[in-house]
Amino acid sequence: MALLEIEGLTHWFGGLRAVYNFHTRIEPGEIRGLIGPNGAGKTTIFNLVTGYYRPTEGRIVFLGRDITGKRPNEIGKLGISRTFQNLRLWTHLTALENIMLAYYGQIRYGLIGAFFNTRRRQEEEARIEVEAMDLMRMLEIETYAHRVVSGLPYGIQRKVEIARALATKPKLLLLDEPTAGMSPAEMLETMEFIQFVRERFNLTIWLIEHRMKFVMNLCNWIQVLNFGEVIAEGPPDVIRDHPDVVRAYLGEMVEI
Amino acid sequence: MSISVSSTPFRRSLRSKLQALRDVPVGSWFLGAALAVLLEWYIGPALAYALGLGQIPAIFGLSLILKKPWLIPSVLLYLVLIYGLPLAVMARLSAGLIRRLEARLSTGVYVGLHLVLLFFLLWAWSSADDYRLLVIRLLAINILATMSLNIVNGWMGEFSVSVAGFMAVGAYVSSVLMVWGFVNDDVFGPPVFPPQLAPMAFPIVLVIAGAVTAFSALAVAIPSFRTRGDYLAIITLAYVFIVRSFFENMEFIGGPRGFMNQPEVAGFPMVFFWTVFGIWVMRNYVTSILGKATNAVRDNESAAEMMTINTRAVKITAFLTHAFWAGVAGGLYAHVIGYINPATFDIRRSAEILGMLYLGGLNSITGSLLGPVLFMFLSEVLRPFQLLKWLVIPVILIYAMIRRPRGLMGFQELRIPFLERRRIAREEEKLHGAAGD
Amino acid sequence: MSQIAQQVFNALQLGSFYALIALGYSMVYSILMLFNFAHGDVFMVATYIGYFVAVGLLGLVAASMLPLPSWALFVLTLVLTMFLASFVGILVELVAYRPLRDAPRASAAITGLMVGIFMETGVLALLGASRKDFPALIPPQTFQLGPIYVTNLKILTLGMTLLLLVLLYLLIHHTKLGMAMRAMSFDYAVVPLLGIPMNTVISFTFALGSALAGAAGILYGMSYPVLDPYMGVIIGWKAFVAAILGGRGSIFGAVVGGFMLGAIEILVAATMPSTMRDLIAYSIVLLILTFRPYGLFGEEYSARLRL
Repeated sequence: MALLEIEGLTHWFGGLRAVYNFHTRIEPGEIRGLIGPNGAGKTTIFNLVTGYYRPTEGRIVFLGRDITGKRPNEIGKLGISRTFQNLRLWTHLTALENIMLAYYGQIRYGLIGAFFNTRRRQEEEARIEVEAMDLMRMLEIETYAHRVVSGLPYGIQRKVEIARALATKPKLLLLDEPTAGMSPAEMLETMEFIQFVRERFNLTIWLIEHRMKFVMNLCNWIQVLNFGEVIAEGPPDVIRDHPDVVRAYLGEMVEI
Repeated sequence: MSISVSSTPFRRSLRSKLQALRDVPVGSWFLGAALAVLLEWYIGPALAYALGLGQIPAIFGLSLILKKPWLIPSVLLYLVLIYGLPLAVMARLSAGLIRRLEARLSTGVYVGLHLVLLFFLLWAWSSADDYRLLVIRLLAINILATMSLNIVNGWMGEFSVSVAGFMAVGAYVSSVLMVWGFVNDDVFGPPVFPPQLAPMAFPIVLVIAGAVTAFSALAVAIPSFRTRGDYLAIITLAYVFIVRSFFENMEFIGGPRGFMNQPEVAGFPMVFFWTVFGIWVMRNYVTSILGKATNAVRDNESAAEMMTINTRAVKITAFLTHAFWAGVAGGLYAHVIGYINPATFDIRRSAEILGMLYLGGLNSITGSLLGPVLFMFLSEVLRPFQLLKWLVIPVILIYAMIRRPRGLMGFQELRIPFLERRRIAREEEKLHGAAGD
Repeated sequence: MSQIAQQVFNALQLGSFYALIALGYSMVYSILMLFNFAHGDVFMVATYIGYFVAVGLLGLVAASMLPLPSWALFVLTLVLTMFLASFVGILVELVAYRPLRDAPRASAAITGLMVGIFMETGVLALLGASRKDFPALIPPQTFQLGPIYVTNLKILTLGMTLLLLVLLYLLIHHTKLGMAMRAMSFDYAVVPLLGIPMNTVISFTFALGSALAGAAGILYGMSYPVLDPYMGVIIGWKAFVAAILGGRGSIFGAVVGGFMLGAIEILVAATMPSTMRDLIAYSIVLLILTFRPYGLFGEEYSARLRL
């Protein structure tokens, strides 16, 4: 069974067509790439899959369940998590708090526990804290646990965001431009990091990226989007030489 | 330039003195305060008479500062003799002993003991004077209301102004229930239950009043799903006007003339208990993951949603918690004053509580305590001014807002050294425990 | 039938006040993204200014030092009041909002509320609690238009409001400052490009809003000649709600919202006990905002509190 299956996904913003008739099928364990020029609709697709927008048409099936039109928090609980193009951390909170809050969907105590500080809540939150700290240790950011995220270096903030996404225990992780604003050296590091995370957490990864080198080296299958439509798809070496892709990217991408 | 100012010798010595004061355990201050209360009880009236004050100054002589400035030296002398001296002596003498005693207590016992002490201290102090008793109860009620508002405005980052409306609903519901149940009244006739039961029933009535208020708050909580910021502020504003107009139209409970005859059930112990209980519950809430999710909604709602946080549940809970405790505060208020009318809870009341909140600081329990205390101090000093009070308070608040737009304690908490040490010890234990396996 | 026509006139009259005041809220919102919570009290102060201007001018006329017909007296009062009122607005911005321009908007809301309370108390302290009677600048007359009776005040109110709206439109669309205002409502950063200091534009906007509130104050005082320091709270908040109803920051919306609220209130007052007026009017507002969260003409705009 495919992990994620999307059929005929179309989305309109008022009179503007952002995504048109998008199809895909992602198998477990893949690292999938989604590329295309600015404004091609890549992030819109992520927003549709995570339930942030309700698609105008189409069907999204995750693990055999139709998740079209479900609310983002429900989709998150089913096992899709993501990071954002421009970091969207909770800026007034510490790194640890950011990660612990992502366990919200797994909490089993109720309002009584919250209001009266029951033993069950204490135990559960202590367990979550240990788990969150473990997660931070794995990503080597545990020294920043008690620091407010807005004051952390950019690279660390990125890692905190990934840790937060992992805290929801996803099966599918969507990464929206994970190397935005990074130097080539940092990019290589991120590449290894993504590989590591995928193996360590047994994940399927779907990423949006601007840097061809990154996508070509990492992904096993790439889809190219232009004006909301898929203009090409295939393994990296097919995409590299595809005439439509080259045309779409002419002037957009200097660095291939 | 501020850097050079902060490092003047004066500032530095002040800071080290303050640090020394911080190291005195809370228990020592309490002992000193106990001594002060005893002193005031036995020699206060005589001393006040001798100093020409007539009677013991009700609230630290604050209202005398502007009314009879020539009495200031006497007041100061009184304050030093009755309050300052015992506090200083006890803080000095008992600090070592108390610190050794503290070390043997568990955190829970420590907190419980201090609360009990605080209760008796405040009770004894305020029992010396009826006016004190009134002010301290109103202060407690304001703290409860401010803290509840802080959940929505501070932790969740909305701008709600409906606190007066919530207090009105709580006040009316509890008043009607109490009068109907326990008072021989023109409207509701003879009491339904024996009036002796009134104090026992009052907590239940307060819970009912809070619950009804929370239910009515759905009118603002549900629109909050789709609306944020300014528009939600308008909805909460409309709520205040609707509630006020609603009670003005309820002729059978007095309409605009108001409603009275509330039984005297809100003594100091009752108000103190509800305030402490309320703060405790709300503290628990905002420190839990469930409650901290309000922070996530505030800082980035879309990220919150996608990180499995049920933002609708969070919003409903935050608003309903706010409404419940504001309703309880309103119920207590009605029974402390013994009379309410719709105009008691107009938009001005909301502005007052908002003033306390933003003065004290957003997203802070300490701020929710500090704001009302400072505000009440201020209005006590300005009391002789009567009307002009409302010329001065706005100016001070505007100044405070310009200097510290997040309030005095915004996004910070006061750390009590003892509890802080325990917390750090716990953290370290956890780290070592984790490293061990 | 004549009953209905009569009520339509009442609604238009009431709506005129709301619309004129609501414009002040909307214009400020459109450029600063904050609601001037003191605007209701600016209206109140402006009305008192109008009262003193009117009394003073009438005194001059009575002492035959100012030989003017009543219509000229009215125009002079209106212009003078609008001029003086504009300074109230400028002052409010200077004290309550300018020092907080980069602070969280909630703080600015608090200072706005506090300035409002200050003005109420100030007027109360200066003038005492006794209510003032606004002098009759123009002797009241009643016309008969077919089956309906209309007072000259109603026609004057409506006519002046329409005239001011046209003037406002011309001002915003055909002067440099007006264009700067419109530019600023799109994007803060453009204004320096037009060669006008941002603070000038902001002060001008506050002045404009307060001048309109001053006009509303004169017209209101002539129609309901009893002034008290809390009139700003009552009328001002309603005008505020009208501005919201139309859609925040939308000038067209503010006008429509004002007339709509007027219509709702008159309709409720005509069909139900008058004490129910606020209850029902605000409930309708709550319902409208629940189902159209961004007002009738407002766009969905993710304005967040800048915390």
